[in-house]
Amino acid sequence: MAKSKNPSYASINGRAVLYAVLIIVAAYYLLPLILMIMTSFRSMDEIRMGQLIEWPKSFSLDAWSMAWSEVQIGAREDRGLRPYFINSILMVIPSVAISTTLGALNGYVLSFWKFRGSELFFGALLIGCFLPFQAILLPQSQLLGWLGLSGSLPGLILTHVVYGVSFTTLFFRNYYVNLPHELVKAAKLDGAGFWVIFFRIILPLSAPILVVTVIWQFTQIWNDFLFGVVFSDPSSQPVTVGLNNMVNSSTGEKQYNVDMAGAIIAALPTIVVYVVAGKYFVRGLTAGSVKG
Amino acid sequence: MAELKIDNVYKSFGEEHILKGISLDVTDGEFIILVGPSGCGKSTLLNCIAGLEDVTTGDIILGDTNVTYEAPKDRDIAMVFQSYALYPNMNVRKNIAFGLEIRKMPKAEIAEEVARVAKLLQIEPLLDRKPSQLSGGQRQRVAMGRALARRPKIYLFDEPLSNLDAKLRVEMRTEMKKLHQRLGTTIVYVTHDQIEAMTLADRIAVMKGGIVQQFGTPQEVYDDPANMFVAGFMGSPSMNFLRCEVTRHENDYAVQIESQGTVFQLPVDPKQADLSNYVGKTVVLGIRPEQITHVMPHLVSEQFITQVPVKIEVTEPTGADTLILARINDQECECRVHPQEAGKVGDTMDLLFNMSKAVFFDEQTEARL
Amino acid sequence: MSVSRKKGIDYWLPKLVVSPTLVIALVFFYGFVLWTTFISFTNSSFLPSYDFVGFDQYVRLFMNPRWLNAMWNLVVFGVLFIGICMVVGLVMAILLDQNIRAEGAIRTIYLYPMALSFIVTGTVWKWLLNPTVGIEKFVISLGWDSFIFDWIIDPDMAIYTVVIAGVWQASGFVMAIFLAGLRGIDTSIIKAAQLDGANLFAVYTRIIIPSMRPVFFSAFIMLAHIAIKSFDLVIALTGGGPGNSTDVPAIFMYQFSFQRGQLGIGAASAVIMLMTVLAILVPYLYSELRTPKNG
Repeated sequence: MAKSKNPSYASINGRAVLYAVLIIVAAYYLLPLILMIMTSFRSMDEIRMGQLIEWPKSFSLDAWSMAWSEVQIGAREDRGLRPYFINSILMVIPSVAISTTLGALNGYVLSFWKFRGSELFFGALLIGCFLPFQAILLPQSQLLGWLGLSGSLPGLILTHVVYGVSFTTLFFRNYYVNLPHELVKAAKLDGAGFWVIFFRIILPLSAPILVVTVIWQFTQIWNDFLFGVVFSDPSSQPVTVGLNNMVNSSTGEKQYNVDMAGAIIAALPTIVVYVVAGKYFVRGLTAGSVKG
Repeated sequence: MAELKIDNVYKSFGEEHILKGISLDVTDGEFIILVGPSGCGKSTLLNCIAGLEDVTTGDIILGDTNVTYEAPKDRDIAMVFQSYALYPNMNVRKNIAFGLEIRKMPKAEIAEEVARVAKLLQIEPLLDRKPSQLSGGQRQRVAMGRALARRPKIYLFDEPLSNLDAKLRVEMRTEMKKLHQRLGTTIVYVTHDQIEAMTLADRIAVMKGGIVQQFGTPQEVYDDPANMFVAGFMGSPSMNFLRCEVTRHENDYAVQIESQGTVFQLPVDPKQADLSNYVGKTVVLGIRPEQITHVMPHLVSEQFITQVPVKIEVTEPTGADTLILARINDQECECRVHPQEAGKVGDTMDLLFNMSKAVFFDEQTEARL
Repeated sequence: MSVSRKKGIDYWLPKLVVSPTLVIALVFFYGFVLWTTFISFTNSSFLPSYDFVGFDQYVRLFMNPRWLNAMWNLVVFGVLFIGICMVVGLVMAILLDQNIRAEGAIRTIYLYPMALSFIVTGTVWKWLLNPTVGIEKFVISLGWDSFIFDWIIDPDMAIYTVVIAGVWQASGFVMAIFLAGLRGIDTSIIKAAQLDGANLFAVYTRIIIPSMRPVFFSAFIMLAHIAIKSFDLVIALTGGGPGNSTDVPAIFMYQFSFQRGQLGIGAASAVIMLMTVLAILVPYLYSELRTPKNG
């Protein structure tokens, strides 16, 4: 990479090595996914006989339908990952909607309607971004018990909202403080109040951060396992718990093709989000981590 | 339209005092400029008038109403911001109409008002554009249009021209003056640019350290500054401050200056200051560059004009005039001469010191004598 | 002075709007942490009790070889995971910063594992690392008969498989952070350094990397946070095994609290985890808050 005195050969070789390294590393990241997909289309017989890295001889969707709706997971009546997947959807939509709404409103207040102690409040709220959830698991399960929400989807949603609101507030607040404050001053002089300014001026400008926050919350909540395994019962378990139960059920022979199909099913929504809105996904991941 | 009375306004953040007892009376239709260096409290004062910041103590009275504790939206004030603060998601028409919509004006009247303002400011072709599609000058016009549409009691301008390039700024300055003359509105205008203040204002309030140093017409502030700060702040190039000793001179007083080893007595116009208590002491002589010129024969014999040879250290041609930096009393002194009369660096040149407009300050307190 | 202040709806409304979140912070963050701390000083077992036993639970915790093993595993995993992720992430970011063609595509590939759940990552790597079906079998079939790669069933080595899977998942993310940091550097500094005669290596080691200190810090905090909370990855990859060889504090806490009904010791372990996070976080926040900020 360093500039050589003899640019023609050295730099061409340098570039070649550079690209080779980048491609090898790309293969390291990509191979597991490719193997997952290939294996999910193979039959168990073929897997037993054949190789780890091998083009599927037969192309079969059996493993997929097994994972989706046929395999027995635990003792529940509904088979396959489908009921878990539905639980995840029912959980993720309200959790994302509520936590994002709260975050937007908090960010709006903390940026444009500061009051005595609002900075302190913001600082106090940020601890939620770093709190190891183990420190709140016990009281949260007690509380859900008192509320009669143990093992239910509403209990899970409440948990995700409560422990997601720090991040959503941080995102919106950091975005809003960089909007020109004079916009809000001008609107105040134009006679607009709290809600009119929010809905007519600020919200229309919030599309970029809204996308980032929704993506962040969606991937966090969809991929969560800890809350899922602690606060839900079989009727409300999310797909991550379903997948883990499926893979680790010790009955019978390991069905790797079904496991891989199941893993892809569980990962599909977040991968789709990543592919469709990758730019915003990156922004969400790195938000706040690089000082601007 | 209305008059504005600011009565002994204080604004503090904890121990930090931003405004320390501001009192200003603005009459109906007057164009007032608040000018001062950054941090002098001028923008804070403007925000307090608008209600965007609360005052700590004191009163703000607009027309017949004490609005000190009214919310901004209830004060009927319009403001033009330095960044223009146009709503980026709305087109120009919507931007102008927003305040009217909020105040529940009927649709037809809004359309009429937008049309009136657009015509007034010649922004009719821009009405359907978004702010991002406008140039700096166009945005500035739209921001003014938004303020004008509401026909409020009073207009506030917060450095509205400082984001424009130099040429456009001069154009807009003229236009703003015409607009004020035509509409006769009450305006409070904040700037740090003393030329803007001089050219636009009916009266100027010069601020520093949260205190109004002087409140007067541009000419008063320029010719008759209350203290060294005002004298130095207003005018470009700024006034020369020369420390010199007061002596008796005939029946009156004079100040002594030294140039190239020779001492000269500059007679003091008794109309300008009474220096009787300062004989033998040092005062600060304030003399503007245009009062130190090349030799014009018809002036040489005037009573308060003295011819002094100086050594030229630096010349700065501005086109219309050439500024000469000379050394008087071992202090730098800027002088304004006709370009054709200006000598070269290192030359000695005779200059006329016109003391009839000179002012004097106490060395310690910096107050006017 | 004479007129009293009218506190209109716009004075109360903002406070009203944030009040639910204030309740969340006070109850669900601080209240719950205090409650957990309180429980850790009681003899709670299946149900919370309020019999105060001082530091007994902490003594029991640190007398428990499983906990000590879990803490040690966290140290091993944390150091390797954070260290390797940082090195890989930085190197990849610098390589990608060399005007690479198809940078977008490569970046996308590096980063996608971060979109996956740790459960998915664990499931995949559990299969790949399984000696009888995965990489070991594949290499042997290529003709290298003596090849052995059975870390996942070796109690001494299993924790390193967690590192492998963890690095696979998170290093692309670290790369993205570093790349954003590299792109955020004022290019005129780099030009000035080049005019001063610095070569590319010197530009990176002397100018760019030192000026990315805050980025390093952020990446470190994020990774440390992932490491300390690590639970799902271990559960899915090794289930804490073989035996208890890949136990980490998060699993210990979960099993003692929710499977063995020993709330007191579970709470004590949670408090220790919180303390660990704070020990890393407080100096960071301190340095952040010390830097003056505007507005």
